[in-house]
Amino acid sequence: MEGYLIAISISVLIYLLMASGLALQYGFTGLVNFGHVGFFAIGSYTSALLALKGVPIPVSLAAATALAALAAYPLGMISLRLGGDYLAIVTLGFSEAVRMTLQTEEWLTRGMHGLPGIPRLFAGWVDPRMIDFCIFLLLLAVCAVVFLLIHHIIRSPFGRVIEAIRDNEVAVRALGKNPAQFKTRSLMIGAGIAGLAGGLQAHYLTFISPEQYVPLITFYIWIALVLGGVGSLRGVVIGTVLLVGFLEGSRFLRDVFTGVSEVQLASVRIWIIGMALICVVLYRPQGLFGKSSRRSN
Amino acid sequence: MMKQPYNLSRRAFLVSGTAAAGLGALPGQSFAQGERVFRLGALNSITGIGGPYGPYMLEAIKLAVAEVNAAGGAAGRKFQLFAEDDQTKPEAAVLAVKKLVEINKVEAVVGIWASSVGLATMPITNDANLITMNTCGAPEMLTENKKGLAWMFQASNAIFGNAFAEVARRRGFKRPAVMAFNNSTFVGQANYFKSAWEANGGKVSAFVIYEPNQSSYRTELARVLASKPDVISLSAYRPDATIILKEWYQSGQDCKFIMPGWTANEDLVKALGKEATEGLISISNVAAEQHPAFKRFAAEFKTITKREPDIFAAQCYDMVITLALALEAAGAQADVAAINGQIRTVTGTGGTKANSFVEGRDILRKGQKVDYDGASSRLEFGKHGETVPDFGVFDIQDGRLVLKETIPGQLPA
Amino acid sequence: MDWISIANAVINGVVIGMLLALPALAITLVFGIARFPNAATGDYMTLGAYTTIASQMFLGGSIVVAVLGAMTMTAAISLLMYFWVFRALAERSHVSRLIASIGVAFAVRSTITFFAGQDQYVVDLPLVRAWNFGGIRILPTDLYIVGAALIALLLVFCVMYLTPTGRRMRAIADSPELAAASGIRARRVMIFLWAVAGAFCGLGGALLGIKAVVLPELGWELLMPMFAGVILGGIGSPVGAVLGIVTFSIAQEVASLFVGPAYKVVLAFLILLCVLLLRPQGMFGRPIAAR
Repeated sequence: MEGYLIAISISVLIYLLMASGLALQYGFTGLVNFGHVGFFAIGSYTSALLALKGVPIPVSLAAATALAALAAYPLGMISLRLGGDYLAIVTLGFSEAVRMTLQTEEWLTRGMHGLPGIPRLFAGWVDPRMIDFCIFLLLLAVCAVVFLLIHHIIRSPFGRVIEAIRDNEVAVRALGKNPAQFKTRSLMIGAGIAGLAGGLQAHYLTFISPEQYVPLITFYIWIALVLGGVGSLRGVVIGTVLLVGFLEGSRFLRDVFTGVSEVQLASVRIWIIGMALICVVLYRPQGLFGKSSRRSN
Repeated sequence: MMKQPYNLSRRAFLVSGTAAAGLGALPGQSFAQGERVFRLGALNSITGIGGPYGPYMLEAIKLAVAEVNAAGGAAGRKFQLFAEDDQTKPEAAVLAVKKLVEINKVEAVVGIWASSVGLATMPITNDANLITMNTCGAPEMLTENKKGLAWMFQASNAIFGNAFAEVARRRGFKRPAVMAFNNSTFVGQANYFKSAWEANGGKVSAFVIYEPNQSSYRTELARVLASKPDVISLSAYRPDATIILKEWYQSGQDCKFIMPGWTANEDLVKALGKEATEGLISISNVAAEQHPAFKRFAAEFKTITKREPDIFAAQCYDMVITLALALEAAGAQADVAAINGQIRTVTGTGGTKANSFVEGRDILRKGQKVDYDGASSRLEFGKHGETVPDFGVFDIQDGRLVLKETIPGQLPA
Repeated sequence: MDWISIANAVINGVVIGMLLALPALAITLVFGIARFPNAATGDYMTLGAYTTIASQMFLGGSIVVAVLGAMTMTAAISLLMYFWVFRALAERSHVSRLIASIGVAFAVRSTITFFAGQDQYVVDLPLVRAWNFGGIRILPTDLYIVGAALIALLLVFCVMYLTPTGRRMRAIADSPELAAASGIRARRVMIFLWAVAGAFCGLGGALLGIKAVVLPELGWELLMPMFAGVILGGIGSPVGAVLGIVTFSIAQEVASLFVGPAYKVVLAFLILLCVLLLRPQGMFGRPIAAR
């Protein structure tokens, strides 16, 4: 029982890390990033490949974070020329391009065969039965640090500028600030966080393959943000817990609907997610538990 | 002409969605108080790429569980089934298997289809000391099977690739081309075909790995056909095989195809018609058709699902029966390790042949050794838990699979 | 690569491009008038394909009836979703509509799989051989597909450029404020827009079902290339959408002769980037400044 709860909590925390990166980008800066899973994938593969080569895991995780952030730089440069919807499509394309590259460059990534036997976090340091619990604690700590960091960022002068960009870019430009630079930086920080999340997941699962990095993951993160309400870290936490809680909880739906087949149950699960998205956007734009929105737009 | 039997496909339209539901309430799931049950986990790819196969694999598992329970259980222990969908995704599979392990306290997990799922869940099941039975084809499964708890009911793609090349050679083809779906199983198969063919001094005329989920493969196919092959080794699933064969037929260029049996079967004929599938060479584990275990299983499977079982369904059926016989042999008080130790014994050569659970159980009760020959293959496990089945080479003639010859499966040299 | 392979790849690109031009037009019209990228476009196509299958199974074999039925069905669902979801979100941000459309996409697809399952279906049509002109192959079925697409496109272009509704539509696309100020009632235009968008997705999906196989992910998988084609042609420009997606499809097919199939998607992304960086308004679009 505890083992399962720990596994779910790890899942929540990994999603939470990704979601906090996206919250910084969209919730606080207004950047419509639909390629979040691309940075996640870069992080996973970087850390996994380095660790398989014998690099210590802390170093490989740092490299994962850095590389994911760097990959966001050119996208940030593009975002300076594009409005929200265009950025959405470009980033979505970016994440698919990353996945295809991972899939094709077999000499580096073993392509569709995936990478088995990635070193586990804490392996050899603690009792094997305690590893998951230790990973859980580590993730908890990482999340706390990232949240403090984001909290600090949005309170800083930089944070005030990015929030101003979200609300009124023209005004920011009139004040002589260059929005592009701030956007790029925000995109890079968010991508770095996603990369770190990816690295941590690789060392938790010990097996990764390109099929894990499909756009659906990005959409899940968005769903978490929308459910919880954008623009507050509290909303991010609530949204992520709701999402993973639902995705996992629906496993137990079967005990309730005994007449429904597995295939149908999978459909019902996606249907509920779709309907929840529509209804929240329609009727609770501030998120399920959010306070009424400051922004009408 | 492509003729589709309407009543059948209309049925299928409903069956795939709903009739399977009739079994949702897991047969024989009522247990007397205090009865010691064997808790069995089924981890199937119900949705995702495995969607066309997973639901039927689960049906086969349920069928076998019902058979064992109807016979009073194995060593007096009835099977209680817990099913999970892994969505054909490693990370979803990890959570699903954790749930099976932690909440349902299962003692074995059967029905794992995708190699990615098998590789991602193996560390967890190994840590928890669970028996796992899968249909994964990746050779890495063998090296990662560090505790000897995993059993591969499907031949690894190395063996498959080798068999494809052997068939091409026996049929006297000179210029084979290779076309494969981009996933680990099929890319592996394609690579082993190529190396096995080239080891004998041959040359592969074209080698194309294609991306799935396209609406047309004409350009990829044209690339292969341009090399004027006399046979194409096509490693594909049904949806893409349907499109590719349709486009090949339309192109009018003459050549043969060698395909895996889980794709080149009656369902493919149904989708494409008899004319376009005439002469396809289909290779699958020998067992099908003549074998009594398969016949009985196929008949029961058909009454429930209204369709022929594919090889994965047959393998899933065998997983449960094998497990039940191992449990019977090990005795009611046996722990997982003891049951696992019996798996090789109840399937290995030297015992009295059995084709069903009841037959095998009765032999065991007489104190004799048993050799279960399953619906999917003779089930002789190698030292890493792999099966090396004999392959049946079928030609599709007038919409039916006709067995032409049997070749022994072997690992590439 | 010899020129016959290239010619065949081009022909294949044209057929796929014309087929995708229908949903691409729906995307660009919705983008221009309702102002958001509609992620449900792909799943409306899927709905069209499945309606075709269902109609063939339950009503009999006529493919024409099946395709018309598919168009009606998707148009109806598209209107329903407009009245329930997108109309209410008209005053809200682009992103909220985009997210709602993802919700619509999920809801539509899961409803289909609930009833039809995950396995494939095929449209019941006789297989015919291609005409072979010295290695260049042309399929009769493809001609029908291109023909059907052309007729549908012509009809819509006639409506858009020759009728009052079409004029109002273009006026709203140009400037909603100005259109409102000059007394154009948006409601009729919106109903027309969503009906056409739905019917076109349905037709595209049905034709795709005929050409390929019908699977739950059929339309969803095509979203990315369709968006790329639309951007290439210039978002909001109907002619651009058609030419953009055809150019794009040809480029993808020809490229897969040289770079290998997997890089089709990467190539699509690169084309998209180049267009956005060098000519953000696309081949035919009006310049769109960053907001």
